[in-house]
Formats: sequence, structure tokens, C-alpha cells
Amino acid sequence: MTTVGRRDSCRPITADEESRLFLRLRLQLARATLRSMLEEARLRLSLVILLSALFWGSLYGLFHEAFAFVDSLHAEVVPLLFNAFFSSLMLMLVFSTGILLYSGLYTTPEAKLLLTLPAASATIFSHKFQEAFWFSSWGFVLLGSPMLVAYGVIRHAPPHYFALLLPFMVSFVAIPATLGGILCMVLVAFMPRLRVHALSIAVGCALVAIGGLAWSVVSSVRAETMSAEWFEQAFSRLGITEQRLLPSWWLSSGLIEAATRTNDEHLWPHLGESLRFLAVLIANALMLQLAAGWVASRLHRLGASQLVGELPARRQRRMSWFDELLSQAGTTRGRPLRLLIVKDLRIFRRDIAQWSQFLIFFGLLGLYFWNVRVFDYQHSYAAMIGFLNLAVVGLILSTFTTRFVFPMISLEGRRFWILGLLPVHRDQIVWSKFLFSFLGGLGPCCLLVGLSDVMLGLDPWLIAIHEACCVSLCAGLSGIAVGLGATMPDLRESSPSKIASGFGGTVSLVISSLFIIAVVLVTAVPTHAFLAIESGSALSSLAWAGSPRAVAGGLGIALGLGLAATALPLALGLQAFRRLEP
Amino acid sequence: MIEFSGVCRTYGTKVAVSDLDLTIPRGELFALLGPNGAGKTTTIKMLVGLLRPSRGHVRVAGHDLVLDPRGAHLHLGYVPDEPCLYDKLTGREFLWFIADMFGMPRDLAGGRIAAEIEHFELGEFADDLAESYSLGMRQRLVFASSLLHDPETLVLDEPMVGLDPRSVRIVKDLLRARTSAGMTVFMSTHTLAMAEEMADRVGIMVRGRLVFLGTVAELRERGAARPDSAGTGRESLEQLYLDLTSTAGGESPR
Repeated sequence: MTTVGRRDSCRPITADEESRLFLRLRLQLARATLRSMLEEARLRLSLVILLSALFWGSLYGLFHEAFAFVDSLHAEVVPLLFNAFFSSLMLMLVFSTGILLYSGLYTTPEAKLLLTLPAASATIFSHKFQEAFWFSSWGFVLLGSPMLVAYGVIRHAPPHYFALLLPFMVSFVAIPATLGGILCMVLVAFMPRLRVHALSIAVGCALVAIGGLAWSVVSSVRAETMSAEWFEQAFSRLGITEQRLLPSWWLSSGLIEAATRTNDEHLWPHLGESLRFLAVLIANALMLQLAAGWVASRLHRLGASQLVGELPARRQRRMSWFDELLSQAGTTRGRPLRLLIVKDLRIFRRDIAQWSQFLIFFGLLGLYFWNVRVFDYQHSYAAMIGFLNLAVVGLILSTFTTRFVFPMISLEGRRFWILGLLPVHRDQIVWSKFLFSFLGGLGPCCLLVGLSDVMLGLDPWLIAIHEACCVSLCAGLSGIAVGLGATMPDLRESSPSKIASGFGGTVSLVISSLFIIAVVLVTAVPTHAFLAIESGSALSSLAWAGSPRAVAGGLGIALGLGLAATALPLALGLQAFRRLEP
Repeated sequence: MIEFSGVCRTYGTKVAVSDLDLTIPRGELFALLGPNGAGKTTTIKMLVGLLRPSRGHVRVAGHDLVLDPRGAHLHLGYVPDEPCLYDKLTGREFLWFIADMFGMPRDLAGGRIAAEIEHFELGEFADDLAESYSLGMRQRLVFASSLLHDPETLVLDEPMVGLDPRSVRIVKDLLRARTSAGMTVFMSTHTLAMAEEMADRVGIMVRGRLVFLGTVAELRERGAARPDSAGTGRESLEQLYLDLTSTAGGESPR
């Protein structure tokens, strides 16, 4: 054998070589992921494409109608709308990319591998940034492109407007995304212990700022809703987002210039102005990339070391009073079940990803429901909006049950050596997951639905129908997630997000969505017909559909659906879990 | 060569590693022993650049891990206790990624990859995605990747975890061959028999301090010199280790 460590065996590679290497790595990973998706998850891929297309189409239709209305009456408010939309999005992109980069740069196993290789910190940042940037821009393109295409169509924009959309969107996203990356590295390097608190405070402030702006826009307007005066007053308050130093202003102005249709003689000044805004966006994005590379070369390894060197948070040795109460209350026979629920409750409390998403989504819904009264709806429309809000609450809950509850059984399967050896019947494990999900979702969901209905000024009997449907949804969604999770467990996977995004998770999400639609439709249709007949605006031929008996029947079917969605998947799940051989 | 000079590392007020002065010369296999929470993992993390010392310097082949991490990593191979791979890369693609990251010439890299695949008996599954590998297969692939660039220093954190007896034999043979060719090996292990069989020198760490540094024979001599010893020097390494760690730290389960 020759002596080791010969100098000709390796050398530091250049930044260009590193970039090419990471690009090749990304392409290899993307190819392998796509291939395995095509082989193993065609249903999920087709559903994602189909739902994205549906979502895009619906948004396009919505924006097309909105721009047609605005353009015919208040064309001057478009810049205000664009500025408000893009500045809000910019703020969200800063935080979303920062959070994605935090995980990519510091906490994943890959991050640790890269730190032990002779790779420059700036290149590692750039590699992980491109990943985070892709995720951020994907959402932005899906949300922003139907709006911008609809605007171009309504304004009969010249072809170059549509050609410039992608460069504008990409260069714009790069700015807040890079700022998020810099913020993340600074926070981790200098405040590793306070990073969660600092981020929570920043996200909280941003949400309050956005909520406050929305509130100030709609609450202070005294004119009749949707009238010309109402629009004028509301949009004049959005002027605060029209700051010339903000990238959102450069984007809005550039796009509006590009969309301006004039005769050929006057085309160039507008196009030139638009390109100038694009150049400003690109120049700032590139400058920030340079700054981020500089920050990464100084702070990335320092931050990683700070995080590794952080002491794990100390846990209370004694049970909290709530856990104690829950585990002691009730009969001795039911104690194992309660202890299992207490265990899941503790894991939930200690998993920031779970409760923070829960708080953000339900908090935003709460904020919206708190403000619905500002729009002064007619009674029958208010009832329908109440049903729509019920559907939204159900859909949000279904994303949680699919993402967090569905993988629970699979994860227990991996720890089966603990639970399998305890004197606990397997059925109790499944029941504990169901009760945890059902009871955990019931409180916030009923509260939100109640808040929405009270703010909409609905009659008590309507509130009772909505609340009954809400209970049915909570039980059914929990039953579907737990039952299917036990029927189709993935015992090899340790990542809950991967379990949730697998075949079983997709089936669970689709069935949950269909269940929500069914429950809301069977109660909303007869209720709407009943209210329409009551107000004298419905045809007499619809009397059968709008009778009190039909309303009661609809509610009965909704409750029956809830019972079926709870019992059937749970029965399947219990049977499968009894036979499970880990 | 590995050099720890005056290294301290604290976590808040807790001292994880205290005043570590240790030099491991070229061609030596050094085994770091110690009970759980003794500071072994912290020492390894500082040695591979995942953690910065609160005080002092860690150098590999003369390169400071804080001031010149890239320079140090070029001379370093690392096998962590939990192997990290890209699940959606095949074993061969992963080896190419590592070879390219170390700037190895293509023809040399191709030859080394083929040799390591054969050496670690990876051929059967080298073109499968890593997501289908068992723990032992993953560990063997990480071993292969850590040796591709023929590093001067190899750092092993519990290297035998997950390996079957045949793979353990392959690794032992390999370590012997590489150290006699001049490679420095720093190994953290709980397996005393492994340290006894393989190590030129052992270090025993208790509560962040190196309480013993020397050969296994010297450790036995130290045991034999104890007043309560029969003086035969034939006590098992396990008993000597337990005595030493209980004297310096907690109770011995004797």
C-alpha cells in the first residue's frame, strides 16, 4: 500500500466547480424523485397537478371578474391593489424563506454532512437558498400568476407583458427570499437561544401589521359596502403600501408600465420604463445575493456551532396540572387510554411545528371571522357565508388531521417495542389517537364557527345547525385520519410529513375533502332554500327543498355522514391494527 | 496529525470538555473511551468542525478547524454514528459526489470508487437508491466515502454500530492497513475490546477531562500498581476502565 494523504488525490475546488457540483446533485435528486413519484405515487402526482390547475383556473376566473369590475369603475386603484398585495406577500416571503433556510442550513442531516465537507459556506448557502427559493416562488407563481395574467387579459396588454411576467416575479421573489436568508443566519449566529422567540415575535408583529392594515381599510369606511364611495375610501387607505423604496412598488410599477397598450409610436417609452424597473429588481436581487454570500462566509459555520452547542430546553419534571388532572380523572380501567392521550398531548405541546401552524391558521381564521360583520350582508347571504366559513374550518382541520394525525399510528408502529410490551390493548392505542384528535379539534373549531355565526348575526337555530355540523366534521375527520392511518401504516418511514404525503395520506385528504363538501352541501342547500322561501325570493317549485322537514333531514344526513365517517374507517383501522406485525 | 491545545467547550454553565491538550501523531490509532456524557461526542464534533471550542484550538494536519475549515476538511474523513446519505442518490452517485467535492481527478476518482465498492462489498447494491439500504449498508457506504480521498486523518464515531461481523472484520483490517501506511485514526467507542485490540493509545474521558492517556499496557500497569490489586496485571480492561471512571466520576457497577 502507498502512503496515505498524497497531495495529488484531492484539492480545494473553485466556487464555480462547487456550484456546478451542487447543480448536478440537485438535478440527480430531482430526477430520482420524479421517477419514484411516477412509479409509486402517480395518484398523488395527478391529484397535485389537477388540484393546482383547478386552483389556478378558479383564481384566474375570480381575478378576471374582479379586474373587469375594477377596470370599468376604478382603474386608478389597480396600482394600490398591486402594492398592497405584493408588499404583504413580500413580508410573508421573508419569513417563509427564512424558516425554510433555517431547516436547510442547520437542522437537517444534510446540513451536518455538508459542514464536514470542504465546501465553502457561501456555496452551501447558495445551494440551500435555491431550494428554499424554488419552494417560495412556486407558491408565489401559483398565487400571483393567475392575478397578473387576468390583469393583462382585461387590459389587453401587449405580448411583451406576458413574456416579462416570469422575469419580474422571479427577480422580485429573490429579494425578500434573500433578506429572509440573511435574517435567519444573523438570528442563529447571534441569538441561537432566542431564535424561536425572536421569530415568533417578528411573525406576530407582521401578522398584526397586516391584520391592522386590513382592519383600518375596512372598518373606518363609512359608505355602503361595495359602492363606488366605499371602494374609494377603502383603497385610499392602502396608500401606505405605496413606498418607492419597496421592491413591491418596483414590481407593481414595472408590470403596469408593461401592460400599458399604446400605438407602436408610444410603445417604447412604456416598455423602456418597465425594463428599467425590471433592471432595478434584478440589480437589487443580485446585490443582496452577494451580501448573503458574504454573511454566509462569516456566520454560517458560527451559527451551526452555536446551535449544536445549545443546551436542550429543560423540561418540567412534574406533570403539568392539566396532564395530572386528565390522567387521574375517571375510572382506573380507562387510565391507560388517558395516559396515552396525555403522552400525545405532551408531544404536541413540545412540537413547535404542530402548534405554531395550528395557532397561525386558526388565528388568521379567527381574525377574519372577527371582521366579517364589517361587510353588511343580507340575511340569506349571511347564512351561506356561515356555511362557507364552516367549510373553511373543516378544510383547515382536514389538513391538520392529514398532516399530524394520520401519521401517528405509523410513528407508533416504529415504537411498537414500547407500546407492544405494555399492558394496553391495541384498540386503546387507536381510540386514544381518535379521542386526542377529536377533542383537540372540537374546541377551537366550534369556537370559530360560533364566532363567525355571532359576527354574522345569524339566528340561534342556524348557529345550532352549524355547530352540529362542526361536531360531525370533527368526529368524521378524526375517524378518517386515524382509521386510514391504522389501515395503511408506513412503518419504515420516520418523517411524519413524508408519511402524510404518501399514498395513504393523499387518500385520507381526498376522502376528508369529499366528506366536508358532502356535509356542508346536504345542510346548506335546504337551509338556503328555506331562507329564500321565507324572504319570498324563491320559486314555489322549490318549496319541497326548503321545508323545515328538509332542513331537519339535511342535518340528519350530515350527522349520519359524520357517524359513518367516524365508524367505518375506525372499524377498518382497529381491525388492521390488531393484525399489525411490526 | 491531530492537535488539541488548551481546548475547552462549555454549554451555558456546564463544562463539556475542559483543558484538553492532546496530540495524535501520524500513523497512530487513538481510541477515546468514556461513560455517557463524558464529552466524547463534543470532542468529535470539535474535531470535524461541527462545533467551535469555547477556548483553545483544534488542528488537523496543521489547519485550524475554526480559521481554515476547508483546509482541514481536505485532510479529514469522517464516519458519524448516524450515517447521513442522500436517500434519492444511488450509492455510486453519492461516492461520485464526495469524490468531486474533494476535487479528485476523474480517472483517479473512478478507480478509487471501484476499489472501495469492491473493498466494502457494495457492488450488489451500489446502483440502488440509498433509501433502500439497511443501517449496515449505509454505514459501509459512509466508510467507503470517507476513505475515497485518502485522508491523512480519519475520525470515527462509534464505527461498528450496525455492522455485521464480516463488515467489522473488513473495517478492522482496513484500519490496520491504513494506519501502517501513515493515516491517523481518531475513534470514539464504547467497545472496550475494540479499543484493546486496535488502539495504539487510549484516552479515557470523564466529565470533560482526560483522566488517562497511554497504551493499554500502561493502563494495566496502573491497575496493577493499585494497593488493592493482586499485582498480576491480568485484570480485564473492563474492570480497569470501570475503576478509573468511578474514581473520577460516578459509582462503579462493580
